[in-house]
Amino acid sequence: MQDQDFILFEEYLSGQLSLEEKQAFETRLERDASFNKAFEAYKETSHFLEQHIKNKAETEAFKANLERVSSAYFKKQAPLKTKRINPWYYSIAAAAILAIGFFIAQQFSSPVYDDFANYGTISLTVRGSQNDLSTKAETAFNNHNYKDAESYFSDMLDTDKANIELQLYRAVSLVELNKYDEADKLYNNIIQTPSVYKNKAIWYLALSKLKQGDEEACLNVLKNLPEEAEDYQQAQELIEKLQ
Amino acid sequence: MSQKKIHEDQKYIDGLVANNSFIIQAVYNKFAPKVVNYIKQNSGNETLAQDVIQETIITIYHQATEKDLKLTCPFDAYFFLLCKRRWLNHLKKTGNKKVTINEDILSKDDDAQELAFETSLFEQQHSLFKDMFQKLGQACKDLLTATFKIKSMEEVAESLGVTYAYARKKKSLCIGKLTKMVQESPRYKNLKP
Repeated sequence: MQDQDFILFEEYLSGQLSLEEKQAFETRLERDASFNKAFEAYKETSHFLEQHIKNKAETEAFKANLERVSSAYFKKQAPLKTKRINPWYYSIAAAAILAIGFFIAQQFSSPVYDDFANYGTISLTVRGSQNDLSTKAETAFNNHNYKDAESYFSDMLDTDKANIELQLYRAVSLVELNKYDEADKLYNNIIQTPSVYKNKAIWYLALSKLKQGDEEACLNVLKNLPEEAEDYQQAQELIEKLQ
Repeated sequence: MSQKKIHEDQKYIDGLVANNSFIIQAVYNKFAPKVVNYIKQNSGNETLAQDVIQETIITIYHQATEKDLKLTCPFDAYFFLLCKRRWLNHLKKTGNKKVTINEDILSKDDDAQELAFETSLFEQQHSLFKDMFQKLGQACKDLLTATFKIKSMEEVAESLGVTYAYARKKKSLCIGKLTKMVQESPRYKNLKP
């Protein structure tokens, strides 16, 4: 096929041809089998690109969700596995968090950010792939080194602007660094998307407002969290304490 | 294919497309154990089974979003066949280990066979397109990415600092180029049913 054929295909598909040209094109499709075949191939490529590029954010969100369900499922099946973190560490960490939580709970009666801000550990590195920057970001974030984590996420977002998962983690890091304006802006963007991180973003935005001491804004955000959200129970607890 | 009745298990496909966590969880709870057993009995282990299941679900997701996959057989049969094939391919690639094929759990469902075949064909096609897209020149990649992300070609042209006419022409040529690369690939001839 020649370049002008491709140009013609595109003009036809995007409705740029005049009525006459369009009819001539369709007649040629019927009569010229190789032209028809080439057009079908072109359409197929165009369709692939459309799905591949346009749905990239949705696909990434799906993969992240799948990875989460999959790891949870297989962890339950085989709780003790080589290369996994010694479960004792979890108990020690849990005990430490409990002790600190208890201490804080006794000190203050009104809810504080730290009671609710539990971002867990993140996993950015896909098994089998080696990506330095994501490993660094993951380690920094999981070690609560939010300053470094924020700059790594920011770098990664330079090349992967639409990655909602990264945007979410960057926003969390920003909140931890008290850079609320930027963080809240990111959360609000994520809330507008159809991604799986939408509800997380609502919950985290509420936490950001809580940390800023704006209880009214916090309540308003919390009211938007749908019942099916993972953090719904926690949100209800927080609403109760705030009211 | 199109006259066949859609199976009620289509709900699993629709749930995957909607990225519904409950459905994904249900797929694991209901259908993973059989696959894990099969792989463990055939020179594999749980970690490998985890990968096979995950990759299979991603393939189903792609086919469902891109090609509007309609299930005409039970999900169980379809899913198991796909995982099994993926595992056998893996074994073939890593050397000939002994494989026991348990006829009892092999699906006798023709619809499942047919659908699983279509899915593996789709997967090869999808990965060929993806690989060729990666091999495309950077200018084409940038332009196509912008074109399919942003609706208006005027904005695309502006964001890339080229004229509208040039952007439109270039888009056709880049898609044409990718089409040619796919067709000229040695992998292409295995893809037509």
